[in-house]
Amino acid sequence: MTSLSVVELPSALPAAVFLVPVLAGFLVLAGGRLGLRWGQLVTLLASGAMAVMGLAIARSVWGGAVLTAWGNELRVDALSALVVLIVSVVGFLACAYSVRYMEHATAGEGPGLVKRAHRMPLFHALVLWFLGTMAWAAVTNNIIMLWAAVEATTLSSGLLVAFFWDRRALEAGYKYMMLLTVGITFALFGCVVVYAAAAATGALGGGEALLISEVRGVAWMIPSGTALIAVSMLLIGFGTKAGLAPFHPWLPDAHAEAPTPVSVLLSGVMIKVALYALARTVSIFFPSLPAITLFAVGMGVFTMLLGVVLALVQEDLKRLLAYSSVSQMGYILAGVGLGTYLGAYGGLFHLLNHALFKSLLFMCVGAVVYATGTRRIGELGGLAREMPVTSACFLVGALAIAGFPPFNGFMSKLTIYLALADSGLWWAVAVAVFTSVLTMVALIRPFYRVFWAVPAGAEARGAAVREVPAFMWAPMVVLAALCLLLGLAPGLAYGLLHHAAALLAGAGG
Amino acid sequence: MSALPISEELVRTLSLTVVITSVLTVELRHLRFSAMAYVVQALLIVALLVSYATVNHALYWWAGTALITKAVLIPWFLFRYIRRTREMEEPPLVGFGPSVIVAAVLMTGFYRLTHSQVALLAPSALAQAEVFRTNLAVASTVFVLGLYSLLTRRDAVKLVIALCLLENGVHLSLVSLAPGLPETALFGIASEVVVTVFILLYVIEGVYREFGTTDTFRLRELQR
Repeated sequence: MTSLSVVELPSALPAAVFLVPVLAGFLVLAGGRLGLRWGQLVTLLASGAMAVMGLAIARSVWGGAVLTAWGNELRVDALSALVVLIVSVVGFLACAYSVRYMEHATAGEGPGLVKRAHRMPLFHALVLWFLGTMAWAAVTNNIIMLWAAVEATTLSSGLLVAFFWDRRALEAGYKYMMLLTVGITFALFGCVVVYAAAAATGALGGGEALLISEVRGVAWMIPSGTALIAVSMLLIGFGTKAGLAPFHPWLPDAHAEAPTPVSVLLSGVMIKVALYALARTVSIFFPSLPAITLFAVGMGVFTMLLGVVLALVQEDLKRLLAYSSVSQMGYILAGVGLGTYLGAYGGLFHLLNHALFKSLLFMCVGAVVYATGTRRIGELGGLAREMPVTSACFLVGALAIAGFPPFNGFMSKLTIYLALADSGLWWAVAVAVFTSVLTMVALIRPFYRVFWAVPAGAEARGAAVREVPAFMWAPMVVLAALCLLLGLAPGLAYGLLHHAAALLAGAGG
Repeated sequence: MSALPISEELVRTLSLTVVITSVLTVELRHLRFSAMAYVVQALLIVALLVSYATVNHALYWWAGTALITKAVLIPWFLFRYIRRTREMEEPPLVGFGPSVIVAAVLMTGFYRLTHSQVALLAPSALAQAEVFRTNLAVASTVFVLGLYSLLTRRDAVKLVIALCLLENGVHLSLVSLAPGLPETALFGIASEVVVTVFILLYVIEGVYREFGTTDTFRLRELQR
């Protein structure tokens, strides 16, 4: 167990990191008549500023310090900083990628395309609000505001999922909004029960029972029956949002039908924010309800296996990646839910890594869609020659997600295996390793068919296919480089991961 | 008599009526009437909050927020979209007769269960005392009826109304569980529900235009 001497530093960064994109969103709408370039410029500047702030926050808490603002209402420790870093850096790369992708997706003279082009200011505003609300969820220390922020991420992203406003997008958008809102209502009930129970202990005064950092200290005084109800509600609520089985059915539809930059944010970032909310709230009960940890590992193992089995039978590249996200969330839950330092370290490392390689893979598929107009594996083939950068990046992402050395996924999965074995859960190790093999099959098979195999309609496709513009491949190359870098030098993220893992394990100890 | 300056009889009457309006909201097939039952429930919740406010004055703010969001804004959106889509609900999974029986069983069973086991949900002495105990049992019952509606209805607009019931249950529970909740937090919760309902109905209108129906069972485009 790691003991932490917490240094609290008052800072404006926790507020600025979510207020800047939110205000920028209004700025985009205010200048909507200035055209597409205005929206793109403001989005890039605001998300870029957010990325710089995310890096500054991570640097500030690297040694274990905690940033606070608004009288401890906002509190950024290493765990929050890790999530802020993911939201801001991946968010910026997704925004850069979206510039050319969305120009292409809205270009043309058809009535549907003209409507899409008119909605672009709203697209940019919603993307910025989506980023802002995710950052807000990561920095707030107030349990009710945590719920409000997570729900706000659904509200800001619902119309993004349905952005193309055709039959498929509307169906996906409706299911996304409805299922997540129902789920998150359970989380509200859970948050309220936690607050009420913490207040009833009599150990906290005034509004302190709302502050997660304070509730942790009195969680052991909460009756186990009440804690169990709260945990169940939080698990249903935030678990639905995180795409954990059996609450995952919304995920493949939404992640596949959304515009690709939004898919990147949903699969690469949003589900991590939900898992963060789950870990942040449920981990405070690990000491009083140790059985939760076994349940979490069981649920994680079930999620990882179900997700990869469903991914194996997909013909649509984006749906395949979406089901693979379900599977990878299972790994993260199994690690974090274990309640040990090593498990939390592995789970959080995989959370960071999955944000990188899943964003990369979605961007690669988006590039394929951009170049060919389809995402069905059977209609594709032999793209490696025309799209060498995309092909290489996809291979890096596929190897990384399958846990192949020397990429980052290997290190985080290995840590999770070791943590599970250390706890004597050999059955979980066996399923996790088997799932990893299936993941390799699920990702390498489409890689071969899309980029190397002879296409079914090769003669019909003609010579129109070529590599995507630099604005799209540059973010992909950055993410691929990070996957390799974190695989070769996993200690690069140690400062954040160590303190974040100690925090979760401390709650569990 | 209660030691608190609240008429227990009044609260019980209002609470019972809230539960009955939940059943009506679930069971009425005409969407406009179902929405009207929801409005009546919203007004009853406002009346309940005003009653509780005699003990906790902060609840006057809650009552005001509930009046604006639940009795004005959400019904406005609902009536507007019902007019633009269709007035009759798509046939639910459970027929009228069996559904009324199930709802009645859920209503009485869950009310009794939560009223007797309230300590599990509410560890504080205040929440376990009457009339807050009754309130929590009513809140849980409304929540369960909303959930029942969500699981057995297939009309998209009706599902939004069911979602509102679910939220009403949570909102009512706050009176017993979190009476000290700051107004800003409550306003945050209430306003998010309004925005959720607005966006959902906006998307449902798009679904209706594209698919020609609000029957969620006929949304099968993604299975092709």
